[in-house]
Amino acid sequence: MLSESFKPFFDWCGATWLGTTVRDTVWAFPLIETFHLLALAVLLGTVLIVNLRVFGLGRRYYASAGQIARELEPWMLTSVGVLIASGIPMFLSETDKCYESVSFPIKIMLIVIGIVYQITVQRRWIVRDDGKAKIAACFSILVWTTVGLAGKGIPYV
Amino acid sequence: MTILGICEWLQNTPWAYGIKHSSWQFPLIESIHSLGLSVMLWPAALLDFRLLGVFMKKRPASQVAAQFLPWVWTGFVVMVLTGSILFASEAVKCYNSPFFRTKLVLLVVAGLNALVFHTTVFRDVASWDEKPATPWRARLAGGCSLAVWIGVVVMGRALAYA
Repeated sequence: MLSESFKPFFDWCGATWLGTTVRDTVWAFPLIETFHLLALAVLLGTVLIVNLRVFGLGRRYYASAGQIARELEPWMLTSVGVLIASGIPMFLSETDKCYESVSFPIKIMLIVIGIVYQITVQRRWIVRDDGKAKIAACFSILVWTTVGLAGKGIPYV
Repeated sequence: MTILGICEWLQNTPWAYGIKHSSWQFPLIESIHSLGLSVMLWPAALLDFRLLGVFMKKRPASQVAAQFLPWVWTGFVVMVLTGSILFASEAVKCYNSPFFRTKLVLLVVAGLNALVFHTTVFRDVASWDEKPATPWRARLAGGCSLAVWIGVVVMGRALAYA
């Protein structure tokens, strides 16, 4: 799927010290992947808790989606940090697979879209109590769930 | 019939065989299994943090439990359903894997921990509900739950590679 112009960059990434070390250490990839998965649970869990509050789930416990979003924000940002920090060595260790995969470029594009969307639209719309908040919530759940699924898909397609 | 015999039979049933040898069924179920983790693990961890007295300290513990336990149960049901299918499709591999056996033991520990917590210290939650500092048995239950569930995830990942 990726254009051939990306190939030298991917090869360079794969030849880095970190890439070769992870590739040559049997237990490194599963270990890093475990951290990646745990952090994904934190991120997706937060996305669901916040966005489903927009639809009224947990209204007995929180006055608004904005309130719980603020409370969980430090955890969410930490999880994003762990996801990126664990995702990079995994990528470096299997650049050939990522280059040939359809899921990988989709995942990266969705991450960029998701982050830009989060800091531009989502933060403003989620605190409104109208239809826009619901649209924002649906889009957020859709993007981040698909990021997770696309990640799972890298070894397959 | 031995347990291994049951595993062999299960793995060779047409539907289990079909899942394992389909190009997309196993990865799809595995993906749902992973997504279920988000529904279950993070809300469970948030409750554990409250029990440990490190997060949401201003909110009554019973309220945090009431908010997040339905998430935990929903996620758990998804995990058990998808996990059972994944197990059936490679039952013999699981039977022979020390990681799978450890995972099962940890799941039993998690269940016992929750059972003890709910039948003892949580019965008496009214006496410590509003306090940011929780009783030691609540902290123990929270810490144990957190450690055991992380262990379950670690074993699950290890199982996929070994």
